[in-house]
Amino acid sequence: MKRVVPTLLILLTGALAFSGCGGSSSSSSTSAGNGHVTVTLWEGDTEIEAKSIATLVAEFNASHPNITVNAQFSGNSDYALQKVLAAIAGGKPPDISYLYGSWAPNIATNPQVVTLNKLAEDPAFDWNDFWPSERKVATVGSKIVGVPALVDNLALVYNKQLFAQAGLAPPSANWTWSDFENAAIKLTNTASKQFGWAYVNDASEDTVWRYWAMLWQAGGAILTPDGKHAAFDSTAGIKALTLLQSLAQHHSIYLDNGSDSYLGLFTSGHIGMLWTGPWDLATIAASKVPYGVQILPADLNHQTISGPDNWVMFNNGAAHEKAAWEFLKWLTSPAVDLKWSTMTGDLPIRESVTKLPGYANYTRKFPGIAVWVKNLANATQSRPVTTLYPKISTVIGQAVQGVLLGKAQPQQALSQAAQQVNGMLSVPE
Amino acid sequence: MHPSQGRAAEAKRPALTRRLIASEHVAGWAFVTPALILIALFALVPIGWSLLLSFQANNLIAPAHYVGLANYRALSKDAAFRSAIGHTLLYTAVFVPVSMIGALGLAVALNRKIRGIRFYRLAVFVPLVTSTVATGIVFLWLLDPTFGLVNYLLSLVGLPQQQFLQDPSEAIYCIVAMTVWGWLGFDVIIYLAALQGIPGDLLEAAEIDGASSWSTFRSVVLPLLGPATLFLVVWSTINALQLFDEIYVTTRGGPLGSTTVIVYYLYQQAFQFFNAGYGAAIAYVLFLAVLLVTLLQLWVGRRRVHYSS
Repeated sequence: MKRVVPTLLILLTGALAFSGCGGSSSSSSTSAGNGHVTVTLWEGDTEIEAKSIATLVAEFNASHPNITVNAQFSGNSDYALQKVLAAIAGGKPPDISYLYGSWAPNIATNPQVVTLNKLAEDPAFDWNDFWPSERKVATVGSKIVGVPALVDNLALVYNKQLFAQAGLAPPSANWTWSDFENAAIKLTNTASKQFGWAYVNDASEDTVWRYWAMLWQAGGAILTPDGKHAAFDSTAGIKALTLLQSLAQHHSIYLDNGSDSYLGLFTSGHIGMLWTGPWDLATIAASKVPYGVQILPADLNHQTISGPDNWVMFNNGAAHEKAAWEFLKWLTSPAVDLKWSTMTGDLPIRESVTKLPGYANYTRKFPGIAVWVKNLANATQSRPVTTLYPKISTVIGQAVQGVLLGKAQPQQALSQAAQQVNGMLSVPE
Repeated sequence: MHPSQGRAAEAKRPALTRRLIASEHVAGWAFVTPALILIALFALVPIGWSLLLSFQANNLIAPAHYVGLANYRALSKDAAFRSAIGHTLLYTAVFVPVSMIGALGLAVALNRKIRGIRFYRLAVFVPLVTSTVATGIVFLWLLDPTFGLVNYLLSLVGLPQQQFLQDPSEAIYCIVAMTVWGWLGFDVIIYLAALQGIPGDLLEAAEIDGASSWSTFRSVVLPLLGPATLFLVVWSTINALQLFDEIYVTTRGGPLGSTTVIVYYLYQQAFQFFNAGYGAAIAYVLFLAVLLVTLLQLWVGRRRVHYSS
């Protein structure tokens, strides 16, 4: 007993100190009476994008004397969610954070997330100017919970030299799945460790979203229109997975284990084709590989998949909200967005950007980028906006991985996956 | 201060304060207080909080509500959790003996006075201080089925090519190899220290009695290493049951879930599926399991390990 009392006292002191740290957060408003507000922004940009966001933030701060945007690097965007969750739990979220689109439905359940419907109605903001896939991802139910921050999509990038060596004509905009399959097989040479195609096979969302594009191309859907049942275990779903299976059996796919080695193998001439987005363009362009970009091949159509991300605002009082909105409105305005795209090579997040006089400058600076911009029109569908999506993704990831590794048959894998997904969807929320 | 003044001041203090100052307890606690506060802040508070969390339906985003034991009940019926337990036990059952036997062999080899011994010892220790992420990426490259060095070496000696981390039946053993390589240095240091603590006269006596070097090792050295062995068994088991980093940077639980161990499953639930309450329940089940295993090991150890030579 003699030893217990001091221990408890020490623990209590610790606990008091701990609660002291957290207690001041609510009152620490930075609007110090003179109308000046400091907006905290969390972003995960690296290299060129990091420099670009710093440039734009400095420009905004210089032209808006009443607002100071304080951009803080949150580490890789992959981990932004964990940090924001911790900050919310600690009662001190940033005013704005960059968050992946697939997290939106879960994030939307937080009462501190600012619903933007009223603000987005402002005609000067022109919400409908954002690409349809962006608006779908930023809208949960009827609530707009984010401002589009980045958009991309998958296009076909190919090595011109390997195509010529194999005696193949370069991919055209009318390519079909069988053209694609034939080319992939012809580009394969096991002896020289050359592959027709690469597929990220770590069962993560990276594995899954490429499969969704194929499912849509074959006319399939992920869920039934009411969102209550799985719909991917259809003829279209099986057809898409069978194409993957066939190419895997021909050893025409380099199965990337998630370390993104496919990129280095493409630039070193070991891979003929990639389905990838503009984020790989800078690396590919910097290498000596002669590359071309084309839209994805079609079964019934040329659909692609787009993975838009959002700026999400958290409520830290009206003054902060107003200032944060002011900044986002400015950052995503057509002129500023074109500046951003021209610096980074990212796709324009608004359709009207493509009509600005400076747009030609941007497409000239990044050869091939124009295909991805045009391809946004092929991103007509989006992944289901539901809190269950991360779980659904895991199930599909395993199904696709099983087929690629030759451990499962397409039909059997999909019906098993559908069973699991239906089980999840039937649980009342 | 003049000595007499000091004594006078001392005499004026009440008896209790004097006793407290003189007491070693108070001095001891005063010394450890800063560390204890840190531990309380960063360990005990989260431990308590996650216990609460395990009784909640909580996604860390929306307001939580209490669900009693529902998380634990769901856990008892969760087939994915059961297979995660299976993977963890398989890993532990291979990792602990392999790393300890390997370390003992290396420690005996390094317990000699030869040229360059410092370099060899350093070489064994370096993997331990190398970051797991770096280790993971290096192993991903080494074990790449098409472009990896290991398959190239296998082809040179005419052995069949392996899929390694991409084969559901091989992946967990690749993780064992990777973690043994990474953690061996620690076990070696413990054994090396224990070996150097063995009194020379005992070894000499065995030699005079005509014991062969093998029987000296078996009957004299090994029993004297008992405390070190017990410590390493407990420590390695706890570590193995909490395997996470290496999985996170290499296989991410795959292929086909074959390396989804308990802590990785916990991470998936809490940070990918937004079931933080469920994740906390997994953490508590693991905590109790580790506690139980450790107590069992210590109980067995008390009967079999001799602490004095």
